[in-house]
Amino acid sequence: MKKLLLILYVAISPFMAWAQEEDTKDWATKGIHIRGISVYGNRPMKEIGTQQTKFDTVILKENIALSMADVLTFNSAIFVKNYGRATLSTVAFRGTSPSHTQVSWNGMKINSPMLGMTDFSMIPSYFIDDASLLHGTSSVNETGGGLGGAVRLSTKPANSRGFGLQYVQGIGSFKTFDEFLRLTYGNDHWQVSTRAVYSSSPNDYKYRNHDKKVNVYDEDMNIIDQYYPIERNRSGAYKDFHILQEVYYNTGRGDRLGLNAWYINSNRELAMLTVDHGNDTDFENRQREETFRSVLSWDHLRDEWKMGIKGGYIHTWMAYDYKRDLGNGIMAHMTRSRSRINTFYAQADGEYYLGKKWLFTANISLHQHIVVSEDKNIIRQDGNKAIVGYRKGRPELSGSLSAKWRPIERFGVSMVVREEMFGREWTPIIPALFLDGVISKKGNVVAKASLSRNFRFPTLNDLYFLPGGNPDLRKENGWTYDAGVSFAIGKEGIYSLTGSASWFESFIKDWIIWLPTPKGFFSPDNIKDVHAYGVELKGNLDVAIAKEWQLGVNGTFSWTPSINVGEPRTPADKSVGKQLPYTPELSSSVTGRLSWRRWTFLYKWCYYSERYTMSSNDISLTGKLPPYFMSNISLEKVLSFKWADLSLKGTINNLFNEEYLSVLSRPMPGINFEIFVGITPKW
Amino acid sequence: MRLVHYILLFACLLFSSCMEWEYGLEEDFDLSASGDGLFICNEGNFHYGNATLSYYDPTTKTVHNEIFYRANAMKLGDVCQSMIIRNGIGWVVVNNSHVVFAIDINTFKEVGRITNLTSPRYIHFLSDEKAYITQIWDNRIFIVNPKRYEITGYIDIPNMTSESGSTEQMVQYGDYVYVNCWSYQNRIIKIDTKTDTVVDELVVGIQPTSLVMDCNNKLWTVTDGGYEGSPYGHEAPSLYRIDAETFTIEKQFKFKFGDCPSEVQLNGTKDKLYWLNDDVWEMDVTADRVPVRPFLPYNGTLYYGLTVCPRSGDVYVADAIDYVQQGMVYRYSKNQELLDSFYVGIIPGAFCWK
Repeated sequence: MKKLLLILYVAISPFMAWAQEEDTKDWATKGIHIRGISVYGNRPMKEIGTQQTKFDTVILKENIALSMADVLTFNSAIFVKNYGRATLSTVAFRGTSPSHTQVSWNGMKINSPMLGMTDFSMIPSYFIDDASLLHGTSSVNETGGGLGGAVRLSTKPANSRGFGLQYVQGIGSFKTFDEFLRLTYGNDHWQVSTRAVYSSSPNDYKYRNHDKKVNVYDEDMNIIDQYYPIERNRSGAYKDFHILQEVYYNTGRGDRLGLNAWYINSNRELAMLTVDHGNDTDFENRQREETFRSVLSWDHLRDEWKMGIKGGYIHTWMAYDYKRDLGNGIMAHMTRSRSRINTFYAQADGEYYLGKKWLFTANISLHQHIVVSEDKNIIRQDGNKAIVGYRKGRPELSGSLSAKWRPIERFGVSMVVREEMFGREWTPIIPALFLDGVISKKGNVVAKASLSRNFRFPTLNDLYFLPGGNPDLRKENGWTYDAGVSFAIGKEGIYSLTGSASWFESFIKDWIIWLPTPKGFFSPDNIKDVHAYGVELKGNLDVAIAKEWQLGVNGTFSWTPSINVGEPRTPADKSVGKQLPYTPELSSSVTGRLSWRRWTFLYKWCYYSERYTMSSNDISLTGKLPPYFMSNISLEKVLSFKWADLSLKGTINNLFNEEYLSVLSRPMPGINFEIFVGITPKW
Repeated sequence: MRLVHYILLFACLLFSSCMEWEYGLEEDFDLSASGDGLFICNEGNFHYGNATLSYYDPTTKTVHNEIFYRANAMKLGDVCQSMIIRNGIGWVVVNNSHVVFAIDINTFKEVGRITNLTSPRYIHFLSDEKAYITQIWDNRIFIVNPKRYEITGYIDIPNMTSESGSTEQMVQYGDYVYVNCWSYQNRIIKIDTKTDTVVDELVVGIQPTSLVMDCNNKLWTVTDGGYEGSPYGHEAPSLYRIDAETFTIEKQFKFKFGDCPSEVQLNGTKDKLYWLNDDVWEMDVTADRVPVRPFLPYNGTLYYGLTVCPRSGDVYVADAIDYVQQGMVYRYSKNQELLDSFYVGIIPGAFCWK
């Protein structure tokens, strides 16, 4: 503990010294920014009965180096499954799987049509200005297929005047470099923004490998000693580049045009397992991705109605190479996998207010996917070469109508019907009902409830991947409902306290799972029926504790049993009635933010309960993933000069230097540090 | 500023931690007193590194799970593929860990390991100082010196690239070793052990999965027929009897299109053949046709592994259940009577008799 405090003190002492120096200055005359505290009382018609978690810009822009996976880990109670630093990170709501989470960016779905899920480690939080989680039923307002929920990500105009520039440089442990640049220009009509992020690291953090030992032999090759080696994370390097161009034109007469274009170039090695006895110089295991996403939008707003039209395009090229040195320096391919996805997107939506009591909305969207998947090069029986893979296209049409009615200020009801068509197959009508009502104006106590049916179609890989794709799969389907209460109290400029508690329950049938086959490959089938239920709690406190001091605490907690209620697969099956593997029953996060003048101290903590690695919930010596606690801290100082604003920030991740695994055989880094310097010139 | 210090200190103390990545504890085993013993290779889940080794004593009907971890305080690795025993040493092939462990078969302690393999599948001994290790995703068979735990050479397989490379089980007849080539392959190759070169090959059906040799020096292999949509082809699988001396197909037993036979095994006297095809099947090695009725009919169990006790003739069949929980091994007598059943590790796929 003393050592830890010493490290902590060394890390923050430069900032402390700086702080004392600044104490002598007259900050009062320069003005101190205390974040506005407001009381949340109004309930927009569009959000009647919905269970949402919104992330403000303070959270999203808290650290340039964070991906959306990191943001969600520390600021929500949904389960983020992280395979390591800068590797695949998936998100799952309420005990469901990552493919049950629908993700949209500026209205366009960005789930992989091949895999169904989204890699949140590929989404820099700095590229997102507005993010919200739509839990369970609430996702039907946005899209179909979100059996767990939906994540809505979007960008917004910067609202700048004239030219603006921001540059942030981060330097951290394991030779990590993060760079961020934003250029903005704005006037009464135009808002233009260019953002770029470049992150790179050999990512070769050290850890003691508890899963294997190194042998020491004598001359006759008898083992005379063994020890747990201190290894580096082998083959885990990454280089990610993102650039986002936005152009908005506002006529000032109720029309707005927008263009968002996001290009990703990612080159990541896939780190070796803890139990890999291969030599990292003999193998190359690399994933490359180039993705271009663009959305063109037109919004037309009037007093009582508005409509919007969007068009978009996504191109993704992915390459996976697994190579082996043949001993002569030549790297031979063991696997050479390529995939190309082209998605064309169109959407139209409208809203119409009939008086103050009615709101009608309509939405229709089309995503046309064209996928080429090439997984393996083989020599056929006739001696010619062939590629194992598939080429498929699929249109995905989704439309919804809703009527929202608030007959009195204290009560609202919303009815949504949605229908979807994937390929040539239609879902039945997907209904959703939302209710909310003010129980007490004092304390803004609001009760909410919602109920919906939902369906999720199999992904293209589920249906067509070679080998193993199963074209006979049925779509997953489920019923879900939730009910809860929320409150909001506070005093303007003094404090605000909000909280919510909700209960949910869902039944999912025909859950698709990939399992091995006797032929040596995996194949999906409609295997499981799942009953998921539980409680979600959220709380937020902002308080001005003294003059120039502000404290903010945000906490979440989820209890999410997700139980297999299907039939036993064989007489020996022990999984029925048990929690799904790799799905934590409990999760929680707390973020504390203490601000004094232009200093901000942040403490982030998250927790996942033990994840079972077996469907029978048996805990074995070799399959144990104990509860997971993580603490990160950061300290930031903003300096304001006539010519520029400067920000200095130091972060410490894995504060207690835990040796831990998030997923079996995937070690996570110990304590690590990063320093950021940012400059925003004042022209 | 003192207040800031206190708050920082409080924040540090606020949350303790408990997510230890545990070290194992070495246990002492000594199972030398018992003559019989069956090792079960549990593959575990690909990329999760949770392969395990189980040990079953047929006499006492006791099972010990995770014996490698418990004896050595380290993990076996990712995808335990196969195991053989030679001179009291068990050689355990762990495919995606690129390693073959050598263990004492009574104490289960590691005595050495062969590393730097591409993707090992099976090991076959030619002598105390020479063995072959087959690979998938490599067009070479590795030649190793088991005494020194080192790779000494390679056998290049003709008409095979690394990407579609696949060599599997090995049986020896005289100076020749026969190997079935499985993934996107259709042939049995013949290796001259004096020159370590492929000297002949025999085309069979699509994807021969296993290879054994009976008491009459006949090789038996069964194909899985490929899969629907495969550019390599998809056909009805077959069981082949091949004369080892002439290296020619003597007999082909065709299965129905869509069947998925696997795991060809022999009894101790090598005059009865067993395999899986939903049910468990048994056939005399001299039979002219496949029996009408199975040895053990399908009863809702997903058979994944199969072995026959060389001494008692008891049949052991593994049920992988849903592939993410401990599998079950059922032990039947020669008369199809259920003698015992016991849980082992995740995806029990291969067996090895002591």
